[in-house]
Amino acid sequence: MFDLRKLFIIIKREYLTRVRTKAFIITTILIPIGLLAVLAAPVLLQLMESDTAYEIVIKDETNQVYPRLAEIDSVRYVESQGRSIEELRTAITKKEIEGYIVITEEGITSGEEFELIYSGGGGISLVGDITDDIQSVIREVRLERAQASKEIMAILETRPNLKTRKLTAEGEEEESNTFVLFAFGYVMAFIIYAAIFGYGSYVMRSVVEEKTNRIVEIVVSSVKPFELLLGKVLGIGALGVTQFVIWVIAGAGIMAFIGPLAGMFIDPASLEAGQTAAEAFNIPDFSAIGIDVGIYFILFFLLGYLIYSAILAAVGSAVDSEADTQQLMIPVTIPVILAIVMLPKVATDPDSLFSVISSIIPFFSPILMIARIPITDVPFWEIGLSILLMIGTFLGCLALAAKIYKTGILMYGKKASFKEIAKWIRQ
Amino acid sequence: MINHILIPDSGSITINGIEASPETQKMVGYMPEERGLYKKMKVGEQLMYLSQLKGLTAAEADKAIKYWLDRFQAADWYNKEINELSKGMSQKVQFIATIAHDPDIYIFDEPFSGLDPINSEMLKEIVIELRDKDKTILFSTHRMEQVEQMCDDICLFNNGKAVLKGDLREIKKKFGKNTINIEFQGDPGFLDDLDGVRINNRSANFAEIRVKDDQDMQSILKHAMQSTEIYKFERVEPSLTEIFISTVGEDNINPKELG
Repeated sequence: MFDLRKLFIIIKREYLTRVRTKAFIITTILIPIGLLAVLAAPVLLQLMESDTAYEIVIKDETNQVYPRLAEIDSVRYVESQGRSIEELRTAITKKEIEGYIVITEEGITSGEEFELIYSGGGGISLVGDITDDIQSVIREVRLERAQASKEIMAILETRPNLKTRKLTAEGEEEESNTFVLFAFGYVMAFIIYAAIFGYGSYVMRSVVEEKTNRIVEIVVSSVKPFELLLGKVLGIGALGVTQFVIWVIAGAGIMAFIGPLAGMFIDPASLEAGQTAAEAFNIPDFSAIGIDVGIYFILFFLLGYLIYSAILAAVGSAVDSEADTQQLMIPVTIPVILAIVMLPKVATDPDSLFSVISSIIPFFSPILMIARIPITDVPFWEIGLSILLMIGTFLGCLALAAKIYKTGILMYGKKASFKEIAKWIRQ
Repeated sequence: MINHILIPDSGSITINGIEASPETQKMVGYMPEERGLYKKMKVGEQLMYLSQLKGLTAAEADKAIKYWLDRFQAADWYNKEINELSKGMSQKVQFIATIAHDPDIYIFDEPFSGLDPINSEMLKEIVIELRDKDKTILFSTHRMEQVEQMCDDICLFNNGKAVLKGDLREIKKKFGKNTINIEFQGDPGFLDDLDGVRINNRSANFAEIRVKDDQDMQSILKHAMQSTEIYKFERVEPSLTEIFISTVGEDNINPKELG
């Protein structure tokens, strides 16, 4: 049906001329660095915390509140040492202190608001911290005054949490972190969405470029248009797969080593019993995500890319310049946008009938199925069926695209309408 | 269709007895009028790519490309991108891309446009060399003097119809010696008085006069002698430009196309 040797030469050119470009190398490196930054941010933030000391003067008329605040943070909360309000105000304007709070007997008994008079610096985290401290201290004082028993106070302090453990087929209970998996599925769906469009329009631009350069005439005097089309789609696809493989490996590496890495920054003595460094730093636990997810990620990208790039190549062949592609691209963008619109519903309720059906529809699968895979246990038949359907859809789209492409690349001077394209397909 | 880019609606095309197919594509070198090369690819890689697609192995392609680049004194372009080359330079690269796989049949569409006289001459030399190697060359151009210098057979198209075809010498003979080349010194105003003639290539002291309707050429000579001194008066076969004009008709063509 086609000449494999020529196809290989075309694939090689499409791949090699692009893999060496700066743009490719930069995006390939930047994405894992971005991921690393997202994961490392909490570690760094924790390390950097409270490096600036803000001094807040507590003018405590009751003498019951200040000692408790000093227990929480003796650097931040300082005594007024008999300074008057006027003196404290001057101190703020001279930037000797950050602010002051007056604690009155009335304030405690009525439970009304207290006022922090301050320079306005320190940002939202400072005000948030002080609010928390004041609230808990005042509550303690009031409970004590009401002679609440230690038991009641202990009850008020506990906040029962719901911990989730996933029961696997082997009957073992696994730590599960639904939120992390949810976010993971979401992120993968979005990366595939962006990559399908990115690589798809790469193919399209390349077709338009060859057409406007007229190089296409020379090339098709040596090879069949179908060989050129397939070579281009596969060559650029290989480029995408290269990038995804690098990302998956880098991502797996980062996720595996971020915990131990965090351990190097923390004093082991400061860890609570049984707590790992990763937990201390609030690093999400990715242990539930296996390498199979990485393989599906690459596979679903590839199949999604193949389906859409074949159509986009046909679009490119039907126009004379990139500016003309808008209208013809509408039928291509609609299914992708629809998939993104359905994504939140599918990700939050991954086992519903709606989610199952929509993620098996081949035009949606690359985005919706990959989102479900980490979030829930997708039965293998669903994944297998969606892969088969995508392969079938790709072959169908390729056959259709080849017909449009064959005629389109040799048509100059006008943008083809949908009607004309339909005619080319029937030929 | 010879290139098997388009498929004929009816009929068939055979090249050396083989139906036009991917197989025959290797036997043809095609250089379209609209030049096309990958702008961001290096000259060497580009030529390797295009010749390998024509069926050469990497080693054969490399050898042929180096030979032709040397021939065009362009060996140092090997690692340059097409973007960096001038129009004339990329034209030569395009030419090499057409001939590197040593086909039997060449199709050149306006190969000389955009070339300076030196390169034009070099290209012509190579085309003639190919002809002498018994290659078949299909050469399309609007420049009649090139046709006269290089072609054996011609085929003149007008509005998609072949209006004149055959051996160039025979065609010229058929038109007869109905043209006068005249060189003179003096007022060229006498040319305007002539009836039933068409004057091509007119300059201050030269004119090519196509005589229509079997007029007596001697009377033209007499008329010319009255106002000028004649250096040369020669009765010749018409130039191809003249044949072109009289066949296609002045009304049917865009004057600019005459070049």
